[in-house]
Amino acid sequence: MLSWDIAVSRAINNAVPRVYKVLNEHPYIPELAKRLRGAKLEVLNNLEKYVEETIQSVKNNGGNAYYVHDAKEAQEIVGKIVGKEKIVVMGKSMVAYELGIRKYLESLENEVWETDLGEFLIQQANEPPSHIIAPAIHMTKERVGKLLKEKIGGVDENSKVEDMVAVVRKFLREKFIKADVGITGANAIAADTGSILLVENEGNIRFTTVSPPIHIAIAGVEKILPTLADAMIEPLVQSAYAGLYPPTYVNLTSGPSSTADIEHNRVRPAHGPREFHLILVDNGRVKANKDEVLREALLCIRCGRCHFHCPVYRAIGNVWGDPPYSGPMGAMWSYVVDGDSKPAMYCVHSGNCKEVCPMQINIPRVLEYIKNKGIHNDSGGFNA
Amino acid sequence: MPFPVDKRVCSSWAKDLPRGGDTIIYTSCMYQIEPSVGTFLKLLPSISSLKGLMPLARVVKPSKTQLERAYRILNNIVIALKKSGINTGYLYEDEPYSGAILLEMGFLDEFGEYARKVVKLFKEKGVKRIITVDPHTHNALTRYKEFVNHDIDVVNYLELVNYTKEVKGEFTIHDSCLYSRFLGLREKYRELLRKSGIKLIEDEKITGKDTSSCCGGPLGPVDLKVSEKIAENRAKDLEKLNKKLLVVCPICYVTLLPHFSGEIKDISEVIF
Ligand code: SF4
Repeated sequence: MLSWDIAVSRAINNAVPRVYKVLNEHPYIPELAKRLRGAKLEVLNNLEKYVEETIQSVKNNGGNAYYVHDAKEAQEIVGKIVGKEKIVVMGKSMVAYELGIRKYLESLENEVWETDLGEFLIQQANEPPSHIIAPAIHMTKERVGKLLKEKIGGVDENSKVEDMVAVVRKFLREKFIKADVGITGANAIAADTGSILLVENEGNIRFTTVSPPIHIAIAGVEKILPTLADAMIEPLVQSAYAGLYPPTYVNLTSGPSSTADIEHNRVRPAHGPREFHLILVDNGRVKANKDEVLREALLCIRCGRCHFHCPVYRAIGNVWGDPPYSGPMGAMWSYVVDGDSKPAMYCVHSGNCKEVCPMQINIPRVLEYIKNKGIHNDSGGFNA
Repeated sequence: MPFPVDKRVCSSWAKDLPRGGDTIIYTSCMYQIEPSVGTFLKLLPSISSLKGLMPLARVVKPSKTQLERAYRILNNIVIALKKSGINTGYLYEDEPYSGAILLEMGFLDEFGEYARKVVKLFKEKGVKRIITVDPHTHNALTRYKEFVNHDIDVVNYLELVNYTKEVKGEFTIHDSCLYSRFLGLREKYRELLRKSGIKLIEDEKITGKDTSSCCGGPLGPVDLKVSEKIAENRAKDLEKLNKKLLVVCPICYVTLLPHFSGEIKDISEVIF
């Protein structure tokens, strides 16, 4: 058996029943998912207005907000904020990967560390991620042990998973403390308050957002929701459909750190970052949003559930789609951001993904549409 | 068909069905030709161009046994329909192909164009009601309306038959993705199987609506290796439940056959 087969069937056997259990035990979650879809559609129908509102709200909180069209613009802004020869810690972000932020910062002689365990392994192995929630699921624990032995030492292929985690924890702790800048994505952004929400289990994102003096969040415009109340729903739905409910941590950030302890005057900064930057990214999304069928892809909340129900992903997952976008959602996103229709050609229209998607995206129909566009040389959103 | 096929291969199964009529059974030659499609694909590195199939179609033909099986299945369906009070005509060698492969490979523009031609032909023949017998044809036909306005009724035989033989035995089932998750027929054939007395061995993780994976067949024209890998995974899962397997689609049958170590039967071979 190939190591991919072993790793993915272990992950499927763990994840699939867990999601059903979570949904069974918390029947309010599908209701929340429905509300989330409605709120996301409201934003997509009025995208420009909500982008403007978000930018204004972030500024009201004493933060900085930017709107970028493509990877180059995003890299320039991040490069200006970070500068050279700094230590940067990153919380897993597909958009940062999409925009090549880590590689760009490294080219400016910064020391950049992925702090999500899976993403850290990916960085160490210099490989693309294979799943949005679990970027290193293509690695068996034996392989992880071997990799860590080579890169940071302290464990080997026979070590226990707990020991592997401890070794990375110790190694990264020092980086967190010394870091000048923390970079994260955002699971949801509230237009009315300019707050971002981040959901995680490891605690690395908390560290990344709070320990360094500067926090940069990078997110696609599709992450905007009308209100903070809507945005709060997203972490619950995302973690539930990822089978990781309740999430260990949900982080809410509205601008740089603040205190109101002296005469109830809110002043910034306090203990956390003194600077907060939100970078809102187009990179093909705005064009996709104008297309009735492709717009559906923008509803994706990256729970990764569709991957585990997809026969094609199970057969070839780690090479299907343009990194970091793999699996059924990745076949849609490869087209939205890279104009690449080839991954869509691999959709066998089993329909499992549409059955399980919390956002009720009819993924096979979107992919069928992309296939037709690809066949007729109609390129995607990116730079088109 | 997407490649030239001897029309007699497609139509010889029917002997005494009336030619044409306002209600017809529509095979789209799927059961008849599907056993040889795998051979076509194996001979090709890739059919990025469907035209690549043309010369090969003349040399590859289903074997006598394969054809006999396909003909038996189609006749069983006709018998079941008759016993349920439904008589149909048939277009014999005038029967067109549905265009399913165009749709499934994403040639939407071409599919729409093709659908217009097929609808025109059905109208010329005075067809008012079409009874489909496989999921791919049924799916293609139900999607014609997105491209061409028509009032022909498209119905699948599973929605019409209420007759079954009495059968004893335990089987597991591999669902057709299209019937199960797109066309709402999943319960229809389960109902028929229950009626026949068959005991289905199911497991929510393997044969559940969200979890029952594809056989991989429709991916064959894009990437045969991946298609076979999916079939292998699927067969391995199904074998855990039972060595006797039922399918409801000719593509599932030929795709799973080389990978499943037990016996595979189309439900129409067993319950009618
Ligand atoms: S497409 Fe649906 S199931 Fe897949 S990751 Fe996105 S929200 Fe989750």
